[in-house]
Amino acid sequence: MNDDQMDEMLIQGVRDYNAPTADTPRDEMWRRIQAARAEARAEARGLAPAVVAIDSRRPRRWVAPGLAAAAAVILAAGIAIGRYFDRIAPHAATPVVASVSPARPDTVRTTSRDTSADLVRKIHDETKKNDERVRALALKEPTTSRSPDATATGTAGTNATGNGVTPNQSLAYRLVVLQHLAGSEAMITSFRSSARSGQLDAELSSWSRELLSTTRLLESSQASTDPVMKRLLDDLDLVISQIVQYTSKGTTNPEELDLIEQSINKRGVMSKLRSTIPSRNFPAGT
Amino acid sequence: MTENPRLIDRQLVHRCLAGDALAERALYDAHVERIYRLMHRMAGDGDLAADFTQDTFIRAFSRLEQYRGDSSLATWLHTIAVSVALNGMRKVKRIRGNTDNIEDTPVVAAEPRGFPADLKIRLHSAVDALSEKLRPVFVMHDVEGYTHEEIATTLGIPVGTSKARLFDARAKLRLALAAFAGDHIA
Repeated sequence: MNDDQMDEMLIQGVRDYNAPTADTPRDEMWRRIQAARAEARAEARGLAPAVVAIDSRRPRRWVAPGLAAAAAVILAAGIAIGRYFDRIAPHAATPVVASVSPARPDTVRTTSRDTSADLVRKIHDETKKNDERVRALALKEPTTSRSPDATATGTAGTNATGNGVTPNQSLAYRLVVLQHLAGSEAMITSFRSSARSGQLDAELSSWSRELLSTTRLLESSQASTDPVMKRLLDDLDLVISQIVQYTSKGTTNPEELDLIEQSINKRGVMSKLRSTIPSRNFPAGT
Repeated sequence: MTENPRLIDRQLVHRCLAGDALAERALYDAHVERIYRLMHRMAGDGDLAADFTQDTFIRAFSRLEQYRGDSSLATWLHTIAVSVALNGMRKVKRIRGNTDNIEDTPVVAAEPRGFPADLKIRLHSAVDALSEKLRPVFVMHDVEGYTHEEIATTLGIPVGTSKARLFDARAKLRLALAAFAGDHIA
């Protein structure tokens, strides 16, 4: 066998050398890239991770640990949105969230006497306060060529939108979308926790309806121009719709519950939400 | 009339630098497939390949203002990717302590018709064992089909050096396989 024949053999033999066995995980990598970039930007700006700070002062005795994290995220987003609304429209802004001082993050604090139902109600109240803002901004936000991909990740580039949207408005819009996602995560976590215990909280029915309505509004808004966000909103729509149906019946049904769990897990809704709204990316403190 | 690819690259980069998130995603979509594939060939592991690919784009986006359009955007990205992969593999090797040997090499899944599995295992191990200078050239040229010009630009070496390294790599592989292959060929 001469060198050419040997080379031919080599090339044939290495054809599947370290060949990928699965499809390229495009979306998963993109989410991580965006999360890492957003984190790097936040660090570069010297932003304090507000949620961590809040966490450290949080009472330890939570009824549901998942709800604790969700509540902290909502609070951080609420504070940030409040501040931006103050800047954008100081006269129009209702001081509901803005009044929550970061020095006193007691709004969604629980006490050791809190029951699961109390906690669900408190988080729902907190998300409800901002729900109208989410809707208002989603309705009046102008059509733009700019993708709110940044919406999910806090991408920089707020200096020029080219459509009359000020950087503050753009940032406020991103924040309200984040707020909605954080609220959705909290509701789903509450639902799972509640459903597992077999005692479905009545509050969940109205909460899930509100979130479904906002999700659908966002699906037809600027947010859905980003394919990643669109998929996330589609997934949320499906899961929240199932929860709305389930909670409206007011009875427990293990089979239906299992179907909802399957939807959540199969679509990776919780991991998508968590990777889209990494707590450290909230620009609270700005 | 087709547009100049370099011009398209520059326009895309310009939009990215202006904060256009759609352009960022377009840049990513245009190149991720090929880069991930190369990273997989270099790393031999899906998770590592994903890590290297992510690092590549994170670095690329953070240094985008440094892209001057002297080479194609693909080449520029591949330069970053290969650098990321080589550095990453160094760390991986340090962690693994170079404990792998041919006997430990996992069985290769697919087997082309007429190509003995044990010979292929030996061949893949021999590719793994190539030096840091030779392996990227061999993988890029003989496995992924890059041209010497592309390899040279990506690795920052002259085209002649790329050809010489490929020649050396093949020679080493031939040597590593000679005795083993002889049994099959005979």
